[in-house]
Amino acid sequence: MRVFEFDEDREKERYVEIMPVFFRVQHLILMITVGVLFLSGFTVLFHRTRASELLVAMEGGVEVRGLLHRSAAVVLLFLVLYHLYYILFSREGREEFQKLKLQKKDIADFIGVLRFSLRLSDVYPDLDRYSYKEKFQYWGVNTGLLIMILSGFILWFETASMLLFPKWVLDIVLIIHGYEGMIVFIILLFWHLYNVHCSPGNFPMNRVWITGKVDRELYSRDRRGYTGKK
Amino acid sequence: MSPAVRRTLVVASLIFVAAIFGGRGEAKISLEKCTICHGKSEFRKVLVDGKVRNLYVTQTSLMGSVHEKKGCVDCHFDVMEIPHRQRPKKVTCTHCHYKGNPEGAPQSDVYLEYFKSIHGQKIAQGNDKAPLCQDCHGSHDIKHTKVPGSRVSKEHVAETCGACHMKIYANFASSIHGVKAAEGNRDAPSCPDCHGEHNIYQHLDPKSTVYATHVPVQCSKCHASVALMSKYGIDAEPVETYEESFHGVASKFGAKTVANCASCHGTHDIRPPEDPLSMVNPQNVPKTCGQCHPGANANFAAGKMHIDASKRDAGIVYYVAAFFKYLTIMTMLALIVHIFLDLYGRTRRFKEGK
Repeated sequence: MRVFEFDEDREKERYVEIMPVFFRVQHLILMITVGVLFLSGFTVLFHRTRASELLVAMEGGVEVRGLLHRSAAVVLLFLVLYHLYYILFSREGREEFQKLKLQKKDIADFIGVLRFSLRLSDVYPDLDRYSYKEKFQYWGVNTGLLIMILSGFILWFETASMLLFPKWVLDIVLIIHGYEGMIVFIILLFWHLYNVHCSPGNFPMNRVWITGKVDRELYSRDRRGYTGKK
Repeated sequence: MSPAVRRTLVVASLIFVAAIFGGRGEAKISLEKCTICHGKSEFRKVLVDGKVRNLYVTQTSLMGSVHEKKGCVDCHFDVMEIPHRQRPKKVTCTHCHYKGNPEGAPQSDVYLEYFKSIHGQKIAQGNDKAPLCQDCHGSHDIKHTKVPGSRVSKEHVAETCGACHMKIYANFASSIHGVKAAEGNRDAPSCPDCHGEHNIYQHLDPKSTVYATHVPVQCSKCHASVALMSKYGIDAEPVETYEESFHGVASKFGAKTVANCASCHGTHDIRPPEDPLSMVNPQNVPKTCGQCHPGANANFAAGKMHIDASKRDAGIVYYVAAFFKYLTIMTMLALIVHIFLDLYGRTRRFKEGK
């Protein structure tokens, strides 16, 4: 009788861990809070739809919706603060953050991939641990987060804000908060979900956010230099 | 007992009952008899509390009213003999006015709504200050709503309600709605247009037509109508811009603490914004907003109130919204194009093994 045996060496050979449990937990918190923020936020943005009425009912009324939205925002804020602490004050974080800085190579890589996809070139660029794809998402979503947090606080403490700014500033802030939320949603949907989970080879889901590991072969195809070192 | 016998007995007893009541009908007391006493102009009664009850009724008292063809005992049906020994009971209008009545009185179920209303409930609880039918409609002078001089007509109904709700009447009478309604303007709302007619509830009762979350619905009955509002040079847009605003969305989803039309424009004392006494006059806006936003200052009046970000007259808000609209669309398009390019690139790599 053949018994399945877990071969640790084979496992290590086949998979490479790119997301330690510490990141996976953060990713999970981010996923849940952002999900709650989107659901509770879009009920207001698309308040004329039937779906939004159902969502408000599900969320337990409009007051609970607001409470949910702000609670999720506070949790997310702590996550952001923790992340800031991590990249500023921990050695590991500082080193990791260096790899996320934008470089000329990112633009070259982006153009290189585009040229390859458009059949203008025959060479697929060799990407880094954090390629232009990860960087665009990291900086795009971070800019969005900054805008969302600032505008969110202005709207949360609307009376205090109105004492400082004229009414039309708050009108603008409300517009920005709505659209920026939409843009972050679009980036997550069309960029993150596609690149990480829905692109060929990963569809229907890249399990990295659960197991932390990716297929070495698949991963190294894009990052020849990165995995070659290991 | 056989069915035939039973049927005979039922018919016989019906005839017997009819004979008794029919007999009563024949002995109907004529108008002339009542006015022997009530026709004297000084015929009145001083009550224990010093109030004077005027009992003067002439043969012409019912003239011009909807009941001009009726006699005294049609309503005061408990008067069996003249002079009557006891004080006749309060007239119950539902004696005739109920659905399916054989009298030919207007058939309607509205009186059922009255019983559920705050007025009807108070009466049921024994509050003798609460109004009965005749307190609003009048007793001998009942006229159709649309007949000038009717106590419940557009021009006079506010006075009728004001007999009890005096403070509110004083507020309403000087408001733009009150002034126009008193002029006989059929478009202007008077009390029942917002509060309902028979189905009046306290404004804190969710059944009320003026319950916090129902207020925008009531106001928009007229103010959302471009045809009606353009007659008076009033913008019909604020209804929609309110619905789009944070106040409006929260109100629609059932928030009771959020501002509705009345919170800013007033309830009974609504005035045009140009009026210095208006709650929405720019001078008074900080105070008005301050009801909910403590310490509100002049910043609250800085900018257009009812704002539609998709219209050019929203100023800078319009341009910011337009910028973000196109930014959103462009982001989405760019990312979709990227997905297709990437799919193609990956397919190529797969085929060519790169």
